[in-house]
Amino acid sequence: MSEPFPTIRRPADRTQMILLFIVLTAGLAAGLAIYSSATSFITFIRTASSALFLPILLSLVLTFLLEPVVSFFERTTGKRTGSIFIVYILCAMLLYLLMQFIIPQWQSAWNSLQADLPRYIKGMTNYIRDLGLKIEAQTPFIDSADLVERGRSLGKDIVNTVIVGTPQSALRLGGLFLMVPLFTFFFLRDGSRILRSCISLAPNRTFEMVHDLSYLITKQLSHFIRGRIIEATIIGIVIFIGLSFTDIRYTGFLAVFAGVTNLIPYIGPLIGMIPGILVALVDLGIGGQFWWIVIVYFLIAQVIIDNFILIPILISRYSNLHPLWVIIAIILGGNAYGILGMVIGVPIVSTLKIIFIEIRQYRRTFSLSERLPESES
Amino acid sequence: MNPLWINIFHKKLEEESIAYFLGSVSIFADLDKRSRIQLESLMHLRTYSAGEVIFEAGDPGSGMYIIRSGTVQIYNRSVKNREIILAQLGLKEFFGETTLAAPSKRTASARASEPTVLIGLFRADINELAKRNPSVAYKIILSLSRVVSERLHVSDQLMNDLRLKHPDLFSTESST
Repeated sequence: MSEPFPTIRRPADRTQMILLFIVLTAGLAAGLAIYSSATSFITFIRTASSALFLPILLSLVLTFLLEPVVSFFERTTGKRTGSIFIVYILCAMLLYLLMQFIIPQWQSAWNSLQADLPRYIKGMTNYIRDLGLKIEAQTPFIDSADLVERGRSLGKDIVNTVIVGTPQSALRLGGLFLMVPLFTFFFLRDGSRILRSCISLAPNRTFEMVHDLSYLITKQLSHFIRGRIIEATIIGIVIFIGLSFTDIRYTGFLAVFAGVTNLIPYIGPLIGMIPGILVALVDLGIGGQFWWIVIVYFLIAQVIIDNFILIPILISRYSNLHPLWVIIAIILGGNAYGILGMVIGVPIVSTLKIIFIEIRQYRRTFSLSERLPESES
Repeated sequence: MNPLWINIFHKKLEEESIAYFLGSVSIFADLDKRSRIQLESLMHLRTYSAGEVIFEAGDPGSGMYIIRSGTVQIYNRSVKNREIILAQLGLKEFFGETTLAAPSKRTASARASEPTVLIGLFRADINELAKRNPSVAYKIILSLSRVVSERLHVSDQLMNDLRLKHPDLFSTESST
């Protein structure tokens, strides 16, 4: 019977210890290097994406808007690139005419607004202070929320943002004026080719379905984006006309602000009417004109024009979001990209909803036809 | 000449282009060169290995395929799951055209019998073409409807022949 070999546990010698130390150190260093490079890579991606996010998004919106016009010219000329140039020249001419007409007026309005803004903020602070005092007088058991101080600091913040932010936004706007037309040109010219290249990556078995779905989703998206932009423009024009009947100043700015904020459902129109009502309150006081402005903002623009006419015609019912989703989208968008994120957060969530619904509808269409023969038999 | 330079200055021959190939496919033969070039930009080139399934009966169908190279088997399965070969298609032949006009399910399965290159044309592409160049889209749809109606006539004829040969098969139909 052979004796089993005794297992001897030798303590690790010096060489092994050094080797283990080197391997561990190298591993740790490599891990740290990968981690730091990964974070810097993520930072790089974040910086690059935040710089490109807005121009690409605006270009996509513009592409969806201009696509029907380009297609119209392409039908007659037969050339895509030539048609895009025609549309660009027409847009440039339109912009030039608009600038000739609007810029001098808006420049003086903007200058006086910058001077008037502290006055409006003061008016708002006074109004809030009065309101606070009234609340305190009526409900003495509730501690003062220091509304005055809060209102004042909010006002100061707004003034600072406007005064400091204007040159920065002008610089950013300059960059956008350069990048957006360029990106839009390439999206208009090569958009379908880019989409086709992406679709071609799908495996053979799923390719056909992916292609069909992408077409349906793009169609719905262009319908939705065009609808939203046209809706915002019409609301802006209605408010401009409505306010023009009164002595209120900055009608143009107020109309543009109301139009842009109208892109956010439920909350947007409320935010959009705040500056108008504030200016009316400070400049005109509570009277006939003030109540007319409230009616224009609330009843005419929102209830009659938007809810009864525009939304049923322009926006498909299913792209409307539940108010809860709107709030979530605004909070998430605001956290990621500030005020801009708050404006574009909701359309992005609507887009995701459209994609989801299109996929579900597509699946339902084909599973429904599957069940038909059974029900017939 | 250095092969590198040959590659750089090598121009794609017209005969190699899809547009040229489409001219030899019956359904697109009526189109002029410019229309065929426009159509080429909308088509999808897909490569299949031998035995690879292109689509199965019951799949959502959205367009047709033209065989650029290789062969394709069209088949169905019997109740006992036995494969029944319906057709063997070769170069320049096409299949799946019935789903081009309206979304419907594939009625038969298709499989590449050897390494095959197919050109796909789908409903979304036709819609895109109709938006950009309605006259070309009109010509294609007209050609397609001609082919579909020809095939419908043939199947009607076959059905009538069958009805005459085997009246018992259609007895339930006549009784109702």
